[in-house]
Amino acid sequence: MPTLKINNKEYEVNLKGHETLLEVLRDHLGLTGTKTACEESECGTCTVHINGKAVLSCIKLAADCVDDEILTIEGLAHADQLHPLQQAFLDKGAVQCGFCIPGMIMSAKELLEKNPTPTREEIDYALDGNLCRCAGYLKIIEAVEQAGREMKAAK
Amino acid sequence: MRTPINKDYIDPVGKSVPRIDGLGMVTGQTKYAFDVSFPNMLIGKMIRSPHPHAKILNIDTSAAEKLPGVRAIITAKDTHNIKFGSNEYFFPHTIDQMALEAEKVRYVGDELGAVAAIDEETAEQALRLIKVDYEILPAVVDMEEAIKPDAPQIHESLNNIAVILPVNFGNPDRALKEADYVREDVFFAPAAHQAALEPHVCVGQWEIFSNKVTLWASSQAPFKCREALAKTLKMDLNDVRVIKMSVGGGFGGKLEMLPMDFAACLLSKKAGGLPVKICYSREEEFLASRRKHGMKYTIKSGVKKDGTLVAITGEVLADGGAYCSYGPTVLAAAIMRIFMVYKIQHFRITGYRIYTNTPISGAMRGFGGVQAGFAIESHMDMLAEGIGMDPVEFRLKNITSPNMVTVNKMYLTTNGLKDCIEQATNAAQWTKKRGQQKNVCRGIGIGIAADVMGSKMYKSHESAGSIVKVEEDGSVYLFTGAADTGQGSNTALSQIAAHELGVSYSRIKCKSGDTEITPFDTGSFASRVTFISGNATILAARDAKNQVLDVVAQDLDLNSEELDIKAENVIRRADNSVVMTFDKALELCYAFKYGRQIIGRGSYNPKTTPIDFRTGEGNVSGSYGFEAQIAEVEVDKETGEVKLLKLWDAHDIGKAINPQSVEGQIEGSLAMGIGYTFLENLHFDKKGRPANGNFAHYRLPRTMGLPEMKSILIETNDPEGPFGAKGMGEASLLPTSAAIANAIYDAIGVRIKELPITPDKIIKALKEQQQTTKI
Ligand code: FES
Ligand code: FES
Repeated sequence: MPTLKINNKEYEVNLKGHETLLEVLRDHLGLTGTKTACEESECGTCTVHINGKAVLSCIKLAADCVDDEILTIEGLAHADQLHPLQQAFLDKGAVQCGFCIPGMIMSAKELLEKNPTPTREEIDYALDGNLCRCAGYLKIIEAVEQAGREMKAAK
Repeated sequence: MRTPINKDYIDPVGKSVPRIDGLGMVTGQTKYAFDVSFPNMLIGKMIRSPHPHAKILNIDTSAAEKLPGVRAIITAKDTHNIKFGSNEYFFPHTIDQMALEAEKVRYVGDELGAVAAIDEETAEQALRLIKVDYEILPAVVDMEEAIKPDAPQIHESLNNIAVILPVNFGNPDRALKEADYVREDVFFAPAAHQAALEPHVCVGQWEIFSNKVTLWASSQAPFKCREALAKTLKMDLNDVRVIKMSVGGGFGGKLEMLPMDFAACLLSKKAGGLPVKICYSREEEFLASRRKHGMKYTIKSGVKKDGTLVAITGEVLADGGAYCSYGPTVLAAAIMRIFMVYKIQHFRITGYRIYTNTPISGAMRGFGGVQAGFAIESHMDMLAEGIGMDPVEFRLKNITSPNMVTVNKMYLTTNGLKDCIEQATNAAQWTKKRGQQKNVCRGIGIGIAADVMGSKMYKSHESAGSIVKVEEDGSVYLFTGAADTGQGSNTALSQIAAHELGVSYSRIKCKSGDTEITPFDTGSFASRVTFISGNATILAARDAKNQVLDVVAQDLDLNSEELDIKAENVIRRADNSVVMTFDKALELCYAFKYGRQIIGRGSYNPKTTPIDFRTGEGNVSGSYGFEAQIAEVEVDKETGEVKLLKLWDAHDIGKAINPQSVEGQIEGSLAMGIGYTFLENLHFDKKGRPANGNFAHYRLPRTMGLPEMKSILIETNDPEGPFGAKGMGEASLLPTSAAIANAIYDAIGVRIKELPITPDKIIKALKEQQQTTKI
C-alpha cells in the first residue's frame, strides 16, 4: 500500500489513483484542517506544502506525492508552541470565520521562509491566490509582517 | 484544579482581547459543518431542474433506486407539501417555496428531490438515472420584461410582482413644485453573491424510534432554521435540533433553511436513520443558494437654494428571482433607511419586488442598503452640484440629529452622524482636496449611511436569551443562542459576560447556537447581535453575580446590595475595599454549607414599536448606527482604470466592545464594498443560469489592488446598548460604491450610474463627455 508522509508521520493509504491530495487528507485521513472552497485552483483555501513549496491540494493527485514531505496546517505548531504565523494571526485579529486561514498561513509560510522581510507588494503578490471574504486582508497582511520579523529574529 | 486567570483580560470591554475561538482556527482544529463526518454517513445530492420554467409531469426514480449503493430517494410525494419562506409574520402571502417542488419548477436549479448514496460518485450516477418529464413553459429572465402584462406568470401574483411597497409621507408632489432645483436619476446595482468561503453544507440524522431529527448546519440563524424545518417536516419544534457548527462566513446567505437542509433530514429518515451529508459545490452555491437583488433605483428630489432637501420621490424595481425569501424586507430596507440619514418630510418611493426565472434573491450583507446607498448617495452629490454646494456642506445641512423622531416614527437617540462626517472629512483633508486635483485626475468623494442595530422585523418578538453558569472550578460558561458566523460574536459576548460579572475574560467558555441547549435567539442578521444578545448577556451575568453576592453577604452577615464584583474581587461598593477574591467567593458558594450553583439567566427584547410595512411607520430598532465614508481615487483617462487610493471610514458604533474586531468588520465590509463597486456582477444567461457562477469568472477582491483603509471609531455611548454599544458590521458597506463614484466624478467629471464601475464604462462616459462639450 502506498505511504504518504504528512506532518512527519507515515500514513498508508488505499489509493485508486484518481484521488486528489485534498480528498485523501480530508476524507481518508480526517485531516480536516485543510479546507476547500472551489476545487478548481481559484481560491487557495486548500494550500498545503509539498517539500517546502505551497501547493494547491485540490489539483494535486495524491498518488504523485508518495515520496514527498507533506505539511498541513495541523503540522505547524509544536507541542503547544504555535508557529509565529499562527501567533501573529491571533495577535493581529486576522482571523474572522477562519475558513481561509489554514490556506492563507500555508501560502504566507512559503513566502516568509524565502524572504522574512517582504515588502507590502511582495506579500500582496504571494497571497493574491488566497481568497478571504471576511477580513479585508489588511490584518492578514499585518500578521504576515509581524511573523516575518519574528522568524527573522529567531534565525 | 482552578481555572488559570489571565490578569490582562480583566475588565475586557473596550480591549482588543484575542478571539475566543481563534486558536482552533489557526491550528486547523475548528470543526465546521463542512468537516462533520460520521461512520456510515451517506452523501446526498439534490435533483435539480434543467429548465427555467416548467410543469413537472412525472418523476421516475425506479432505475436510480436499483443502482447499488443508493440508500434513499425523495421527491415531493414523500413530503407534506408545506411551503416555507422568511417573511411569514409581515408578508404571509410571500411564503412561496416548497421544500421540494411538486408541480412546477421556476428556475434552473430548482429542487424536485434528492438522493442519498454511499458516496458522491454513486449519488451523482443516481441523479443521471432519474427521469423527469416536463412540460416546458416560457420563461422570463429580465425583471422589466417580467412585469409586462403578457409575460409568463411565474407564481399566482399579477404581473410577477410579489410585493408592492408604497412608502408615502407628507405631500411630495407639492413640495417638489416649491423646490428651486429638481432632478431625477436612474441607477442600477446588479445582483451579486455572498460567496462565503464555506459553502452551504449540512448533516441530517433522524432518530427513527423517537422521531427526532438533528441537523448539523452552517447557519446564521439556527433557531429560524429549526422553525422552517419543523414546519415543513410537520414536526414539533423541539423534535428538531439544529446545531450550528463554526460557520465559514454567511453574509446573509445562510439565514434560511434551504431545501438541502430539509432533504438531509428526510433522506436520513428514509435511509433508516443513517446520517446524510449534503455539501454544495461552488457552482451550486451560485445557482441554488441565495443572492443579492439586482435593483433599478429611480430617484427624483427637490432642494431649495439654501440646500434644504424638501422632497424625494421614486421607484425601486428589485429582481427577486424565483421565490420570495427575504425579499419583502430587503425591499423595505432599501427604501426606508433613508429616514435615519436625512431629515425629510415629503417622501414617496414605491418598491416592487419582481419574480423572474432566475436564482433566488435573498439577504446579503447590507440588506438592500448597498444598492440604495449607491443610488441615493450618488444622487445627493448631484443635487448638491445642481445648486453649487459642497457635497459635505449639503449633507451636514440635511442629516438627522440626536434625539429626533423621523417622519416614519423612528426614534434616533444617540446619533453620531455629524461627528462621523466631520472626523472623516478632516482625516481625509476634504477641503484641501475636493475639486483641487483634477489636473492629475484625482478626486475625493463622500457617502454617508445609517442602519438599524437591534431591530425587530421578523417575528412577534425578536428577543435573545443568555445563560451564564459559574462552575466550581472557576470557569464561566456562557450559553447564547446567537450565531457566530465569523464576525466574532462569541468573543464580544464573552467579553460582555466577563466584564459584567467582574472577572477575567480568560475564565469564559462560550457555547452558542444549539437549539437544544442554548436559549432562543433569532440569529446573526441586521447587525443585531451585539446590541440584543449583548443585553441579554449582561442581564445573565448580572444575575449570576447577584447569586454569588447573596452567598457572600449571607456568610458575612452583610447586605448583598452593598457588594459588587470588580476585577476578580468581591468589593464593598462604598469604598471599593476588597472583601474577598472571586475564587474565595466561589469556594463559599460551592461549600458544604451553601452548595449554591451559580446559574444566571437573561432575556432581552429591544424596546421598539412594530413597523407597519404598508406605511413604513414604526420605531423598528432599539438603536441606530451611523457612518461616513470618504474615497480617494486616481483615474487613468487612457485606459479607464480607476485606482482606489484610500478609504476613510468613520463609524458611530456606540462603543467598541473589541476595537480590533470592530476594525476587522469595517475592513471586511470595505473590501466587500470595493468588490461590488468594481468587480462583482452576477449575471444570467438566457435560461436564467448564472453566466459567471464560479470563482474563475465571478471575481472577488484579493490582496492586490486593495487601498489603504482607515477606520475611525466614533463612540456615542448608546443609553440602551450593552456598555453603550450599538451593532455594526453592515453599515460600512452601504456608502462605499457611492463614495467611490462621487470621487471619480470629482476626478474626471463623469458620472457612472451603473455598477460595477469598469474601465469600459469610464471610457464610454468620457467619450460622451467630450461629445457634449464639443456641442
Ligand atoms: S479549493 Fe483548491 S484552490 Fe480552491
Ligand atoms: S476569515 Fe473568513 S474567509 Fe477569511
